[in-house]
Amino acid sequence: MKALDDMLLAAHEAGDRPALVGLYAQAAETVNDMDAACFYLTHAYVFALELGDRRATALHARLKAEGREA
Amino acid sequence: MTIAPTDLDSVRRPVAQANGLPNAHYIDPAVFAEEREALLFSQWAGLAVAADVPENGDAKPITFLGMPLLLLRGRDGAVRVFQNICRHRGMILVEEARKIEGAIRCPYHSWCYGSDGRLVSTPHVGGPGHNTHEAIDRSTLGLIEVRSHIWRDVVWINVSGDAPEFEDAMSDVMTRWAEFEKPLYHGGADSTITMEVQTNWKLAVENFCESYHLPWVHPGLNSYSRLEDHYNIEEPGAYSGQGTLVYRQVTNENGDPFPDFEGISDKWDTAAEYIAAYPNVLLGVHRDQAFAIVLLPEGPGKTVEHIHLYYSQPKTDSGLRQRNTQLWKTVFEEDIFVVEGMQRGRYASGFDGGRFSPAMDSPTHCFHDWVASKIQTHRSLSDAAE
Repeated sequence: MKALDDMLLAAHEAGDRPALVGLYAQAAETVNDMDAACFYLTHAYVFALELGDRRATALHARLKAEGREA
Repeated sequence: MTIAPTDLDSVRRPVAQANGLPNAHYIDPAVFAEEREALLFSQWAGLAVAADVPENGDAKPITFLGMPLLLLRGRDGAVRVFQNICRHRGMILVEEARKIEGAIRCPYHSWCYGSDGRLVSTPHVGGPGHNTHEAIDRSTLGLIEVRSHIWRDVVWINVSGDAPEFEDAMSDVMTRWAEFEKPLYHGGADSTITMEVQTNWKLAVENFCESYHLPWVHPGLNSYSRLEDHYNIEEPGAYSGQGTLVYRQVTNENGDPFPDFEGISDKWDTAAEYIAAYPNVLLGVHRDQAFAIVLLPEGPGKTVEHIHLYYSQPKTDSGLRQRNTQLWKTVFEEDIFVVEGMQRGRYASGFDGGRFSPAMDSPTHCFHDWVASKIQTHRSLSDAAE
Protein backbone atom coordinates (compact mmCIF):
# COMPACT_ATOMS: atom_id res chain seq x y z
CA MET A 1 0.00 0.00 0.00
CA LYS A 2 2.93 2.29 0.73
CA ALA A 3 4.11 1.96 -2.85
CA LEU A 4 0.61 2.71 -4.12
CA ASP A 5 0.36 5.74 -1.85
CA ASP A 6 3.66 7.00 -3.20
CA MET A 7 2.51 6.50 -6.76
CA LEU A 8 -0.75 8.33 -6.04
CA LEU A 9 1.09 11.25 -4.50
CA ALA A 10 3.48 11.37 -7.44
CA ALA A 11 0.61 11.29 -9.94
CA HIS A 12 -1.14 14.11 -8.06
CA GLU A 13 2.08 16.06 -8.00
CA ALA A 14 2.53 15.58 -11.74
CA GLY A 15 -1.14 16.25 -12.53
CA ASP A 16 -1.16 12.89 -14.29
CA ARG A 17 -4.90 12.28 -14.30
CA PRO A 18 -4.90 9.21 -16.56
CA ALA A 19 -2.62 7.58 -14.02
CA LEU A 20 -4.85 8.69 -11.16
CA VAL A 21 -7.80 6.86 -12.68
CA GLY A 22 -5.90 3.59 -12.68
CA LEU A 23 -4.21 4.08 -9.32
CA TYR A 24 -7.42 4.95 -7.48
CA ALA A 25 -9.19 2.00 -9.07
CA GLN A 26 -6.27 -0.14 -7.93
CA ALA A 27 -6.51 1.31 -4.42
CA ALA A 28 -10.17 0.26 -4.28
CA GLU A 29 -9.03 -3.35 -4.68
CA THR A 30 -6.72 -3.16 -1.66
CA VAL A 31 -9.41 -2.51 0.96
CA ASN A 32 -12.12 -4.76 2.36
CA ASP A 33 -14.47 -2.03 3.55
CA MET A 34 -17.13 -1.06 0.97
CA ASP A 35 -17.17 2.62 1.98
CA ALA A 36 -13.42 2.81 1.61
CA ALA A 37 -13.54 0.99 -1.72
CA CYS A 38 -16.23 3.31 -3.03
CA PHE A 39 -14.24 6.29 -1.80
CA TYR A 40 -11.37 5.27 -4.05
CA LEU A 41 -13.66 4.27 -6.91
CA THR A 42 -15.28 7.69 -6.71
CA HIS A 43 -11.93 9.37 -7.18
CA ALA A 44 -11.12 7.13 -10.10
CA TYR A 45 -14.53 7.86 -11.61
CA VAL A 46 -14.28 11.64 -11.18
CA PHE A 47 -10.88 11.86 -12.84
CA ALA A 48 -12.08 9.60 -15.64
CA LEU A 49 -15.16 11.76 -16.05
CA GLU A 50 -13.03 14.89 -16.24
CA LEU A 51 -10.80 13.35 -18.86
CA GLY A 52 -13.59 11.90 -20.95
CA ASP A 53 -11.80 8.59 -20.33
CA ARG A 54 -13.81 5.55 -21.40
CA ARG A 55 -13.04 3.86 -18.05
CA ALA A 56 -15.65 6.23 -16.56
CA THR A 57 -18.48 4.02 -17.85
CA ALA A 58 -17.38 0.92 -15.96
CA LEU A 59 -16.50 2.87 -12.83
CA HIS A 60 -19.91 4.52 -12.86
CA ALA A 61 -21.57 1.13 -13.25
CA ARG A 62 -19.70 -0.26 -10.23
CA LEU A 63 -20.62 2.71 -8.07
CA LYS A 64 -24.22 2.62 -9.20
CA ALA A 65 -24.43 -1.09 -8.47
CA GLU A 66 -23.41 -0.32 -4.91
CA GLY A 67 -26.02 2.45 -4.67
CA ARG A 68 -23.33 5.11 -4.55
CA GLU A 69 -24.00 6.96 -7.79
CA ALA A 70 -27.07 8.07 -9.69
CA MET B 1 -26.03 53.03 -1.78
CA THR B 2 -27.93 56.18 -2.69
CA ILE B 3 -26.67 58.32 -5.55
CA ALA B 4 -27.90 61.66 -6.74
CA PRO B 5 -29.22 60.92 -10.22
CA THR B 6 -27.61 62.82 -13.06
CA ASP B 7 -29.77 65.26 -15.02
CA LEU B 8 -30.49 63.75 -18.43
CA ASP B 9 -33.16 66.13 -19.65
CA SER B 10 -30.74 68.20 -21.72
CA VAL B 11 -29.38 65.04 -23.32
CA ARG B 12 -32.83 64.17 -24.63
CA ARG B 13 -33.43 67.44 -26.46
CA PRO B 14 -33.18 67.51 -30.27
CA VAL B 15 -29.57 67.39 -31.44
CA ALA B 16 -29.36 71.13 -32.14
CA GLN B 17 -30.25 71.95 -28.55
CA ALA B 18 -28.91 68.92 -26.71
CA ASN B 19 -25.91 68.50 -24.50
CA GLY B 20 -23.92 65.31 -24.36
CA LEU B 21 -23.99 63.02 -21.36
CA PRO B 22 -22.72 64.58 -18.12
CA ASN B 23 -19.16 63.87 -16.96
CA ALA B 24 -20.36 61.48 -14.25
CA HIS B 25 -21.39 58.99 -16.95
CA TYR B 26 -17.73 58.55 -17.80
CA ILE B 27 -15.89 58.81 -14.51
CA ASP B 28 -18.21 58.10 -11.57
CA PRO B 29 -18.14 54.49 -10.28
CA ALA B 30 -21.71 54.83 -8.97
CA VAL B 31 -23.01 55.85 -12.39
CA PHE B 32 -20.92 53.09 -13.97
CA ALA B 33 -22.72 50.61 -11.70
CA GLU B 34 -26.08 52.12 -12.65
CA GLU B 35 -25.23 51.84 -16.35
CA ARG B 36 -24.10 48.25 -15.88
CA GLU B 37 -27.66 47.38 -14.95
CA ALA B 38 -29.52 49.78 -17.24
CA LEU B 39 -27.41 49.56 -20.40
CA LEU B 40 -25.58 46.25 -20.33
CA PHE B 41 -27.11 43.58 -18.08
CA SER B 42 -30.70 44.37 -19.07
CA GLN B 43 -30.02 44.61 -22.83
CA TRP B 44 -28.45 42.28 -25.39
CA ALA B 45 -24.77 43.07 -24.91
CA GLY B 46 -21.81 41.65 -26.77
CA LEU B 47 -19.60 39.29 -24.77
CA ALA B 48 -17.32 37.57 -27.26
CA VAL B 49 -17.39 35.88 -30.65
CA ALA B 50 -18.18 32.25 -31.31
CA ALA B 51 -14.79 31.97 -33.01
CA ASP B 52 -13.24 32.38 -29.55
CA VAL B 53 -14.27 28.76 -28.92
CA PRO B 54 -13.81 27.22 -32.38
CA GLU B 55 -13.81 23.52 -31.41
CA ASN B 56 -16.21 21.38 -29.42
CA GLY B 57 -15.17 21.39 -25.78
CA ASP B 58 -13.39 24.75 -25.97
CA ALA B 59 -14.00 26.86 -22.87
CA LYS B 60 -13.05 30.46 -22.27
CA PRO B 61 -13.61 32.28 -18.99
CA ILE B 62 -14.57 35.93 -19.44
CA THR B 63 -15.19 38.49 -16.72
CA PHE B 64 -18.05 40.70 -17.85
CA LEU B 65 -18.47 43.81 -15.70
CA GLY B 66 -17.14 41.90 -12.72
CA MET B 67 -19.30 38.83 -13.33
CA PRO B 68 -17.36 35.60 -13.97
CA LEU B 69 -18.77 33.93 -17.08
CA LEU B 70 -17.76 30.89 -19.09
CA LEU B 71 -18.08 30.73 -22.87
CA LEU B 72 -18.32 27.08 -23.78
CA ARG B 73 -18.81 25.13 -26.99
CA GLY B 74 -20.39 21.85 -25.98
CA ARG B 75 -19.82 18.46 -27.50
CA ASP B 76 -23.02 19.09 -29.45
CA GLY B 77 -21.35 22.10 -31.08
CA ALA B 78 -23.68 24.61 -29.41
CA VAL B 79 -22.10 27.72 -27.92
CA ARG B 80 -23.49 28.56 -24.49
CA VAL B 81 -22.66 31.03 -21.75
CA PHE B 82 -22.71 30.03 -18.09
CA GLN B 83 -21.86 31.70 -14.84
CA ASN B 84 -18.37 30.35 -14.17
CA ILE B 85 -19.13 29.05 -10.69
CA CYS B 86 -19.82 25.75 -8.98
CA ARG B 87 -23.33 25.41 -7.58
CA HIS B 88 -21.84 24.03 -4.38
CA ARG B 89 -19.63 26.74 -2.90
CA GLY B 90 -19.48 29.30 -5.66
CA MET B 91 -15.91 28.42 -6.57
CA ILE B 92 -14.58 29.59 -9.93
CA LEU B 93 -14.61 26.55 -12.20
CA VAL B 94 -12.37 27.43 -15.14
CA GLU B 95 -9.44 29.80 -14.60
CA GLU B 96 -8.05 29.99 -18.13
CA ALA B 97 -9.09 29.13 -21.68
CA ARG B 98 -8.74 25.40 -22.28
CA LYS B 99 -10.28 22.33 -23.81
CA ILE B 100 -12.82 20.44 -21.71
CA GLU B 101 -12.04 16.81 -22.56
CA GLY B 102 -14.83 15.24 -20.55
CA ALA B 103 -16.43 17.09 -17.67
CA ILE B 104 -15.74 20.37 -15.91
CA ARG B 105 -14.48 19.39 -12.47
CA CYS B 106 -14.64 21.97 -9.73
CA PRO B 107 -11.15 22.21 -8.26
CA TYR B 108 -12.57 22.52 -4.73
CA HIS B 109 -14.75 19.44 -3.98
CA SER B 110 -14.81 17.99 -7.51
CA TRP B 111 -18.45 18.41 -8.38
CA CYS B 112 -18.53 17.74 -12.13
CA TYR B 113 -20.53 19.34 -14.93
CA GLY B 114 -21.08 18.27 -18.51
CA SER B 115 -20.21 20.61 -21.37
CA ASP B 116 -23.94 21.30 -21.63
CA GLY B 117 -23.99 22.50 -18.02
CA ARG B 118 -25.62 19.45 -16.40
CA LEU B 119 -24.40 18.50 -12.93
CA VAL B 120 -23.16 14.96 -13.48
CA SER B 121 -21.30 14.02 -10.33
CA THR B 122 -21.29 15.06 -6.68
CA PRO B 123 -18.54 13.02 -5.06
CA HIS B 124 -18.96 12.15 -1.38
CA VAL B 125 -21.99 14.43 -1.11
CA GLY B 126 -23.73 11.81 1.03
CA GLY B 127 -20.56 10.99 2.99
CA PRO B 128 -17.33 9.23 1.98
CA GLY B 129 -17.99 6.99 -0.99
CA HIS B 130 -21.66 8.01 -1.18
CA ASN B 131 -22.12 10.27 -4.17
CA THR B 132 -25.81 11.05 -3.91
CA HIS B 133 -28.01 12.55 -1.25
CA GLU B 134 -31.75 13.01 -1.29
CA ALA B 135 -31.36 16.72 -0.60
CA ILE B 136 -29.17 17.25 -3.64
CA ASP B 137 -31.26 17.14 -6.80
CA ARG B 138 -28.69 17.27 -9.58
CA SER B 139 -31.33 18.16 -12.16
CA THR B 140 -31.84 21.53 -10.45
CA LEU B 141 -28.17 22.27 -9.85
CA GLY B 142 -26.67 22.56 -13.31
CA LEU B 143 -24.51 25.50 -14.25
CA ILE B 144 -26.45 28.76 -14.31
CA GLU B 145 -26.91 29.55 -17.97
CA VAL B 146 -26.93 33.14 -19.20
CA ARG B 147 -29.38 33.86 -21.99
CA SER B 148 -27.39 34.15 -25.19
CA HIS B 149 -27.77 34.49 -28.93
CA ILE B 150 -25.29 34.42 -31.80
CA TRP B 151 -25.60 36.87 -34.66
CA ARG B 152 -22.81 37.82 -37.02
CA ASP B 153 -20.69 35.44 -34.93
CA VAL B 154 -21.02 37.78 -31.93
CA VAL B 155 -22.16 36.10 -28.73
CA TRP B 156 -24.76 38.46 -27.30
CA ILE B 157 -25.97 37.98 -23.76
CA ASN B 158 -28.89 39.25 -21.74
CA VAL B 159 -27.81 38.84 -18.13
CA SER B 160 -31.10 39.98 -16.61
CA GLY B 161 -32.95 37.42 -18.73
CA ASP B 162 -35.93 39.67 -19.39
CA ALA B 163 -35.04 41.56 -22.56
CA PRO B 164 -37.26 41.01 -25.61
CA GLU B 165 -36.26 38.13 -27.90
CA PHE B 166 -33.00 38.93 -29.69
CA GLU B 167 -34.61 39.02 -33.13
CA ASP B 168 -37.14 41.55 -31.86
CA ALA B 169 -34.63 43.68 -30.00
CA MET B 170 -32.26 43.78 -33.00
CA SER B 171 -34.84 43.62 -35.78
CA ASP B 172 -34.00 47.06 -37.21
CA VAL B 173 -30.34 46.42 -37.79
CA MET B 174 -30.97 42.82 -38.87
CA THR B 175 -33.40 44.09 -41.48
CA ARG B 176 -31.03 46.79 -42.66
CA TRP B 177 -28.29 44.25 -43.26
CA ALA B 178 -30.45 41.34 -44.34
CA GLU B 179 -28.37 41.08 -47.52
CA PHE B 180 -25.37 40.15 -45.41
CA GLU B 181 -26.99 37.15 -43.72
CA LYS B 182 -24.28 34.91 -45.17
CA PRO B 183 -21.81 32.54 -43.57
CA LEU B 184 -18.98 34.51 -41.97
CA TYR B 185 -15.51 33.01 -41.66
CA HIS B 186 -13.18 34.40 -39.03
CA GLY B 187 -9.74 35.05 -40.47
CA GLY B 188 -8.10 33.29 -37.52
CA ALA B 189 -5.28 34.36 -35.24
CA ASP B 190 -3.96 36.92 -37.72
CA SER B 191 -7.39 38.56 -37.92
CA THR B 192 -7.85 39.38 -34.25
CA ILE B 193 -6.77 42.64 -32.66
CA THR B 194 -7.06 43.36 -28.95
CA MET B 195 -6.59 46.88 -27.65
CA GLU B 196 -6.73 48.03 -24.05
CA VAL B 197 -7.72 51.68 -23.93
CA GLN B 198 -7.96 54.05 -20.99
CA THR B 199 -11.44 55.27 -21.77
CA ASN B 200 -15.07 54.73 -20.95
CA TRP B 201 -16.66 52.22 -23.33
CA LYS B 202 -19.25 54.76 -24.50
CA LEU B 203 -16.57 57.05 -25.91
CA ALA B 204 -15.43 54.20 -28.14
CA VAL B 205 -19.02 53.84 -29.36
CA GLU B 206 -19.37 57.56 -29.92
CA ASN B 207 -16.14 57.88 -31.87
CA PHE B 208 -17.10 54.91 -34.04
CA CYS B 209 -20.53 56.33 -34.82
CA GLU B 210 -19.50 59.50 -36.59
CA SER B 211 -17.52 60.38 -39.69
CA TYR B 212 -16.88 63.98 -38.60
CA HIS B 213 -13.43 63.13 -37.25
CA LEU B 214 -12.21 61.09 -40.19
CA PRO B 215 -10.30 63.76 -42.14
CA TRP B 216 -8.57 64.98 -38.98
CA VAL B 217 -7.78 61.76 -37.20
CA HIS B 218 -7.43 59.45 -40.20
CA PRO B 219 -5.79 61.68 -42.83
CA GLY B 220 -4.75 58.60 -44.77
CA LEU B 221 -8.38 58.06 -45.71
CA ASN B 222 -8.64 61.50 -47.33
CA SER B 223 -7.10 60.38 -50.60
CA TYR B 224 -10.08 58.23 -51.46
CA SER B 225 -12.67 58.59 -48.73
CA ARG B 226 -13.54 62.22 -48.20
CA LEU B 227 -15.98 63.51 -45.65
CA GLU B 228 -18.61 64.23 -48.27
CA ASP B 229 -18.53 60.59 -49.34
CA HIS B 230 -19.99 59.57 -45.97
CA TYR B 231 -23.51 59.59 -44.63
CA ASN B 232 -25.06 59.33 -41.19
CA ILE B 233 -27.00 56.25 -40.11
CA GLU B 234 -29.55 56.62 -37.35
CA GLU B 235 -32.27 54.40 -36.01
CA PRO B 236 -33.40 56.01 -32.75
CA GLY B 237 -33.60 53.52 -29.93
CA ALA B 238 -31.63 50.88 -31.79
CA TYR B 239 -28.39 51.81 -33.54
CA SER B 240 -26.42 54.51 -35.28
CA GLY B 241 -23.33 54.82 -37.36
CA GLN B 242 -22.00 55.96 -40.67
CA GLY B 243 -21.68 54.77 -44.22
CA THR B 244 -19.27 55.42 -47.04
CA LEU B 245 -19.94 55.54 -50.76
CA VAL B 246 -16.36 54.99 -51.84
CA TYR B 247 -15.19 51.76 -50.24
CA ARG B 248 -12.08 50.54 -51.98
CA GLN B 249 -11.05 46.91 -51.71
CA VAL B 250 -7.64 45.96 -50.39
CA THR B 251 -5.65 43.80 -52.82
CA ASN B 252 -2.60 41.57 -52.78
CA GLU B 253 0.58 42.01 -54.85
CA ASN B 254 -1.24 40.64 -57.90
CA GLY B 255 -4.10 43.07 -57.53
CA ASP B 256 -6.51 40.41 -56.32
CA PRO B 257 -9.02 41.35 -53.63
CA PHE B 258 -10.80 39.07 -51.16
CA PRO B 259 -13.76 37.21 -52.70
CA ASP B 260 -17.11 38.96 -52.38
CA PHE B 261 -20.06 37.80 -50.31
CA GLU B 262 -22.32 36.20 -52.86
CA GLY B 263 -25.64 37.64 -53.88
CA ILE B 264 -25.38 41.13 -52.42
CA SER B 265 -26.71 44.03 -54.47
CA ASP B 266 -24.72 46.44 -56.65
CA LYS B 267 -25.07 49.13 -54.02
CA TRP B 268 -22.27 47.44 -52.12
CA ASP B 269 -19.81 47.63 -55.01
CA THR B 270 -18.52 50.84 -53.48
CA ALA B 271 -20.55 51.21 -50.27
CA ALA B 272 -19.72 50.07 -46.77
CA GLU B 273 -21.45 50.66 -43.46
CA TYR B 274 -20.34 50.88 -39.85
CA ILE B 275 -22.94 50.54 -37.16
CA ALA B 276 -22.87 50.62 -33.37
CA ALA B 277 -25.43 48.04 -32.29
CA TYR B 278 -26.26 49.37 -28.84
CA PRO B 279 -24.91 48.96 -26.30
CA ASN B 280 -21.38 47.72 -26.96
CA VAL B 281 -20.91 46.06 -30.33
CA LEU B 282 -19.44 47.84 -33.34
CA LEU B 283 -20.02 46.20 -36.69
CA GLY B 284 -18.79 46.83 -40.21
CA VAL B 285 -19.87 45.34 -43.53
CA HIS B 286 -18.21 45.51 -46.93
CA ARG B 287 -18.62 43.55 -50.15
CA ASP B 288 -15.69 41.29 -49.28
CA GLN B 289 -15.12 41.51 -45.53
CA ALA B 290 -16.79 42.32 -42.25
CA PHE B 291 -15.72 43.05 -38.72
CA ALA B 292 -17.10 42.91 -35.24
CA ILE B 293 -15.73 44.83 -32.28
CA VAL B 294 -16.86 43.81 -28.82
CA LEU B 295 -16.20 46.46 -26.18
CA LEU B 296 -15.69 44.98 -22.75
CA PRO B 297 -15.84 47.67 -20.06
CA GLU B 298 -13.42 47.05 -17.20
CA GLY B 299 -14.23 50.17 -15.22
CA PRO B 300 -15.38 53.74 -15.79
CA GLY B 301 -12.10 54.61 -17.49
CA LYS B 302 -10.90 51.34 -18.97
CA THR B 303 -12.15 49.31 -21.93
CA VAL B 304 -10.78 46.34 -23.83
CA GLU B 305 -11.65 46.31 -27.52
CA HIS B 306 -11.80 42.86 -29.11
CA ILE B 307 -11.66 43.28 -32.88
CA HIS B 308 -12.39 40.37 -35.23
CA LEU B 309 -12.14 40.35 -39.03
CA TYR B 310 -14.30 38.05 -41.17
CA TYR B 311 -14.36 36.95 -44.78
CA SER B 312 -16.79 35.30 -47.18
CA GLN B 313 -14.83 32.06 -47.50
CA PRO B 314 -13.00 29.85 -45.03
CA LYS B 315 -9.69 29.95 -46.89
CA THR B 316 -8.28 33.29 -47.96
CA ASP B 317 -4.87 34.64 -48.95
CA SER B 318 -2.96 34.83 -45.65
CA GLY B 319 -0.67 37.62 -46.86
CA LEU B 320 -3.67 39.68 -47.89
CA ARG B 321 -5.35 38.94 -44.58
CA GLN B 322 -2.33 40.13 -42.65
CA ARG B 323 -2.14 43.26 -44.76
CA ASN B 324 -5.81 43.95 -44.15
CA THR B 325 -5.41 43.40 -40.41
CA GLN B 326 -2.54 45.89 -40.36
CA LEU B 327 -4.60 48.47 -42.26
CA TRP B 328 -7.45 48.22 -39.76
CA LYS B 329 -5.05 48.18 -36.82
CA THR B 330 -3.56 51.44 -38.02
CA VAL B 331 -7.01 53.05 -38.29
CA PHE B 332 -8.15 51.81 -34.89
CA GLU B 333 -4.90 52.85 -33.21
CA GLU B 334 -5.29 56.33 -34.66
CA ASP B 335 -8.49 56.61 -32.62
CA ILE B 336 -6.89 55.80 -29.27
CA PHE B 337 -5.64 59.29 -28.48
CA VAL B 338 -9.07 60.82 -29.03
CA VAL B 339 -11.03 58.36 -26.91
CA GLU B 340 -8.41 58.59 -24.17
CA GLY B 341 -8.23 62.39 -24.51
CA MET B 342 -12.00 62.74 -24.23
CA GLN B 343 -11.91 60.51 -21.14
CA ARG B 344 -9.36 62.75 -19.43
CA GLY B 345 -11.46 65.73 -20.51
CA ARG B 346 -14.39 64.39 -18.46
CA TYR B 347 -12.54 65.41 -15.30
CA ALA B 348 -12.95 69.10 -16.25
CA SER B 349 -15.79 70.18 -13.98
CA GLY B 350 -16.86 72.92 -16.38
CA PHE B 351 -17.62 70.52 -19.19
CA ASP B 352 -21.38 70.37 -19.66
CA GLY B 353 -21.47 67.31 -21.93
CA GLY B 354 -20.66 69.46 -24.93
CA ARG B 355 -22.69 70.68 -27.87
CA PHE B 356 -23.16 68.75 -31.07
CA SER B 357 -22.86 69.64 -34.72
CA PRO B 358 -26.46 69.13 -35.83
CA ALA B 359 -25.19 68.12 -39.27
CA MET B 360 -22.37 65.79 -38.29
CA ASP B 361 -22.96 64.52 -34.75
CA SER B 362 -26.47 63.17 -34.89
CA PRO B 363 -25.33 59.49 -34.75
CA THR B 364 -23.58 60.31 -31.45
CA HIS B 365 -26.63 62.14 -30.17
CA CYS B 366 -28.77 59.17 -31.20
CA PHE B 367 -26.61 56.98 -28.95
CA HIS B 368 -26.75 59.47 -26.06
CA ASP B 369 -30.51 59.66 -26.37
CA TRP B 370 -30.70 55.85 -26.18
CA VAL B 371 -28.42 55.82 -23.12
CA ALA B 372 -30.49 58.50 -21.40
CA SER B 373 -33.79 56.80 -22.21
CA LYS B 374 -32.62 53.43 -20.85
CA ILE B 375 -31.28 55.01 -17.68
CA GLN B 376 -34.49 56.96 -17.16
CA THR B 377 -36.49 53.76 -17.60
CA HIS B 378 -34.21 51.96 -15.16
CA ARG B 379 -34.59 54.74 -12.60
CA SER B 380 -38.36 54.78 -12.90
CA LEU B 381 -38.49 51.00 -12.41
CA SER B 382 -36.18 51.30 -9.41
CA ASP B 383 -38.35 54.06 -7.93
CA ALA B 384 -41.49 52.00 -8.46
CA ALA B 385 -39.90 49.04 -6.67
CA GLU B 386 -39.09 51.11 -3.57
